[in-house]
Amino acid sequence: MKEYTFLAVASAVLALFLDRFLHTAVLRKREYWIAIGVMFFFKIPSNGYLTWRPIVLYNPEYFLGVRLWSIPLEDFFYGYGFITATIVLWEYFLRKDRTP
Amino acid sequence: MKTEYLLVLAAILVFPLMLSLVMRIRMYKHPRAMLFSMGIMCVVYWTWDVLVTARGHWSFNPAYVLDARLLGMPVEEWLFFIIIAFVAIFTYEAVRLVIGERSAQ
Repeated sequence: MKEYTFLAVASAVLALFLDRFLHTAVLRKREYWIAIGVMFFFKIPSNGYLTWRPIVLYNPEYFLGVRLWSIPLEDFFYGYGFITATIVLWEYFLRKDRTP
Repeated sequence: MKTEYLLVLAAILVFPLMLSLVMRIRMYKHPRAMLFSMGIMCVVYWTWDVLVTARGHWSFNPAYVLDARLLGMPVEEWLFFIIIAFVAIFTYEAVRLVIGERSAQ
């Protein structure tokens, strides 16, 4: 298993666990899934440009080498994990803000 | 052009900033929740990024990034996480507003 592949998938799984652990249940919210769709829609041109130009160069030693357009497959897991964990934490702290 | 990565970041921010002017996004009323959620995400992913950049997972093309670096990463890469965390929360709150769910207040 390549290192970036492992880390990217692990981070996405951890984000899902974070949602359970903090009882934020964003995975059950419609707005979460729509937001994921919107973010991924804009991710393709921006991440695509960064990797097509390329502004960021990936070391073949650490990723599978599978790309969608120019984007390494791992980047989709990485992005999903980052966006999910951000929304989970936002919901968590928002709740704390409302109920001091 | 050395400003290209910076321009990509600006392009990512354009829509949310423009929409901020016309939508009543309530996230700005919760600076503490914004600071904590964005802060934790940045610290975790900055750490990850610094470590794997040093290890060689990826590198930044000097033709398209500024010369200013911190712990081996261009400033644009540091800004990237702040911007994406902001845009993620913004998008979530904007969707909530549009579909009429209870938004942050």
